[in-house]
Amino acid sequence: MSTLKSINVIHPSSATNNIVNDASGNVAIGNNLTVAGTSTISGNETVTGTVVMGSSFKRNRIINGNMLIDQRNAGVEITPVSGQFLTDRWAYYSSQASKMTAQQVTDLNPISFRNSLLMITTSAVTVGASDFFTVTQNIEGYNISDLRWGKSNAQPVTLSFWVFSSLTGTFGASIRNSGNSRSYPFLYTIVSPSTWTYITVNIPGDTSGTWLTNSSTGLSVTFGLGVGSTFSGPAGVWASANYNVATGAVSVVGTAGATFYITGVQLEVGTVATPYEMQIYSDQLAQCQRYFQTSYFGSPVGTATTTNSAFYTVWANTYYAYLNVNFLVSMRTTPTNVSYSTNNGASGVQYNFSLGNQATAFSSNNYGFTNQITNLAAYAGNNYYFHWTASAEL
Amino acid sequence: MYTNAHYIVFNGVTTSIRCDINGVTSFVPLDPANTDYANLMQLVAEGKLTIAPVEGAN
Repeated sequence: MSTLKSINVIHPSSATNNIVNDASGNVAIGNNLTVAGTSTISGNETVTGTVVMGSSFKRNRIINGNMLIDQRNAGVEITPVSGQFLTDRWAYYSSQASKMTAQQVTDLNPISFRNSLLMITTSAVTVGASDFFTVTQNIEGYNISDLRWGKSNAQPVTLSFWVFSSLTGTFGASIRNSGNSRSYPFLYTIVSPSTWTYITVNIPGDTSGTWLTNSSTGLSVTFGLGVGSTFSGPAGVWASANYNVATGAVSVVGTAGATFYITGVQLEVGTVATPYEMQIYSDQLAQCQRYFQTSYFGSPVGTATTTNSAFYTVWANTYYAYLNVNFLVSMRTTPTNVSYSTNNGASGVQYNFSLGNQATAFSSNNYGFTNQITNLAAYAGNNYYFHWTASAEL
Repeated sequence: MYTNAHYIVFNGVTTSIRCDINGVTSFVPLDPANTDYANLMQLVAEGKLTIAPVEGAN
């Protein structure tokens, strides 16, 4: 190895030094610096100009990737039906009922993560060709519009996440479009059981297919927990098919008592998995509330309680009474509303101490709802209590 | 699973479909961007669900 000793380095055609070295080990660059590979700075960096990034500072296109928000279940274990939401923005889809439980948990999490989503197999299934058991987040089209997928200049993305399972092997996941006509299935490996493993996957941008960039689903990120051959395809390539996972993936639902934890899910533009983008709690809650809101505020939906419930008092004999409620955050679209009795958690009703549960109705838009109760004649002075949910999920 | 669907009139206007979604009585707006409404319309188109006329107009 030889050492080049020089103070100045200059191009023959340059009027000024390209590189200037000093006795303290410092280097000054005379003009622009271009790094074709990865630049790693172990110390601090001060920028007096403007930082231009390939992606925005809000890098993560996944909402609630750290499973921190659980408005529906408040950390209580559930046995979800297909289409039911688990932690906020994460839904469970299955071809058979009552095979798994789901729960937001606060133990067993990797460093820097308070919560994870735990799935447990309660009844083992030998997965048939058309079976599927998955956890999915549908990302709104607005939030992927810069990916330019479906075009020749489609941008690559990187998916990163932490997983922990009682099982080992190659697990499956995928990215799909809203029409389920384009999918990129892939495998990832858990070598050691019951050990948190950090996974990163580079995914090339899809230059084909239709990828919506409006308030509908732009793309879906799906983690397979047992998927049959109909919905499994070759790993690591884009396909014009509805593949939930890559062929050969482990079936978590195939082993009774098997556990699967996941957290720290991040999808970002580019080919580098950056550290998980931590959000301020209130910001993350507001992001979730674009898709789901509730009056329960910390209790599982359907709980029999008057705490934080809506209520109105009827002051005069009338046939109708109305209550307007503004949403905390404007919602993605007009939501589906549900009212719950504060007395027993029954849905579609309100509760009155004298009359018991009473039928109700909603009219809503993105910004709030009007609740109505009827047949109030002769009941002036009565209070009517109810909890509510509003869902504008994808 | 969507069952027991019928239209609801609210203050004189048909505004939603009352139905049970996995056993939870819900009010689905007549908004094509609402996922439940889109699912209901697909079930209707496939002949798997009928939405009953308005119940108890008001």
